[in-house]
Amino acid sequence: MTEIQKYTEAELVGLLKERRQSAFSYLYDNYSGALYNVVLAIVPDRDIASDVLQEVFVKIWKQCESYDSSKGRLFTWMMNIARNASIDMLRSKGYQNSQQNRELKETVYDSAGSTATNTDRIGLRKVVHTLKDDYKILIELSYFEGFTQDEISKMLNIPLGTVKTRLRNALLQLRELVKN
Amino acid sequence: MDTKTYIESGIIESYVLGLADSTEVSELEMLCAQYPDIKQALDDFERQIENHAFSGEVTPPADLKHKLMLALADEFEPEAENNNAKNRLTAIPGFDTADTDTIKLQGNSFWKYMAAASVILLVASGVFNYVQYNKLQSATTKYEALLTERNSLQASNGIFETRLNDFQKSVAIMENPDVLKVDLPGIKGKENNHATVYWDNKTKDVYFLSAKMDKIPEDKQYQLWAIVDGKPVNAGLITDCDGLCKLENIPRAELFAVTLEPKGGSKSPTLSDMYVAGAVLKQS
Repeated sequence: MTEIQKYTEAELVGLLKERRQSAFSYLYDNYSGALYNVVLAIVPDRDIASDVLQEVFVKIWKQCESYDSSKGRLFTWMMNIARNASIDMLRSKGYQNSQQNRELKETVYDSAGSTATNTDRIGLRKVVHTLKDDYKILIELSYFEGFTQDEISKMLNIPLGTVKTRLRNALLQLRELVKN
Repeated sequence: MDTKTYIESGIIESYVLGLADSTEVSELEMLCAQYPDIKQALDDFERQIENHAFSGEVTPPADLKHKLMLALADEFEPEAENNNAKNRLTAIPGFDTADTDTIKLQGNSFWKYMAAASVILLVASGVFNYVQYNKLQSATTKYEALLTERNSLQASNGIFETRLNDFQKSVAIMENPDVLKVDLPGIKGKENNHATVYWDNKTKDVYFLSAKMDKIPEDKQYQLWAIVDGKPVNAGLITDCDGLCKLENIPRAELFAVTLEPKGGSKSPTLSDMYVAGAVLKQS
């Protein structure tokens, strides 16, 4: 971020809740790059990802009343909106049709079934792919592809308890990598 | 409570990344309110993830902000009308009145863009409609022409079908072994005329084939006569027909002859206007 922060999070949230255009404009200028990064980690296609990002900002605008600062930071809240919208896109019929050929090709080489090739992995996904395979696949399937732990347990034929502990260990490792 | 174990359990990370289930979420939210070090650990990880996302910022397409502003245009509260908001904005350090003016101007020019865009769209749609209307008109005209052409083709096809049927019937009559063919050559002075009578021995129907007859005036008509015991009997008026013309039923005749008569025919033949004649040859 090269721009000097003019609002604190609390001020920005207050102005957003008052439906100020200037606040929305400020929010976009300051957060769109980071949120685009979050979306691109899940939806690698830039054009599709920018459609998702547009939807994310509309959702942030419409739902900002429901943001509760006592539960976490504004960015965390927005990041989760971005992740959910991205996964919704992955699951849409149109996206699946467009990616079908690509995915078939990818799965042959990539055990995690990710649609991103090594070179276009972005942000958090790039970090996740430096983890060992057991951890990598759990974060891939849960965070990037949106499967529940129950679904993952069935997909990988691993007991639910093991999925839970292994995923938590994977996340702790991820935390160490993200720290640096 | 052993907050350290909890902090190191991975639940906080699950929570931040949206992977925790609802029990874990409410548990963590409750514990955060009770234990400042859990709240601190949560805040730390949130900041780490946030910093990581910012360190990998990717600039979205340039027109995206404009699209969003258009999409949400109706939802923004007018900036200028609310003095409170203005005061609040000016009270924020580093955010002077010049900035609020810029925002106001942005708002106005935004509506100008909207208006300009609407006018352009209206004109474009007008042109489009005009072009489409013309296309439709010419397509309709062509369609009607095709429809007429199709009808006339169908009609002439019907005519040909009827004529073909007539010819087929004629051929069938000619080929019938019961039918007697009587040649009627042109008489003296009318040698270039020639006709044939087909006479069915069983049904006694008479059919006439005008192979080659002189053209006659509108008010005249050829009439066929059968000569029975030396007396002429009307065998029918000859009309324009394709192939064989079916005429009267004649039980007996020695001779057939054609004379030219006033339109509608005569009761007795005008012998001076005889064209063709031929004797019936008895079949052995």
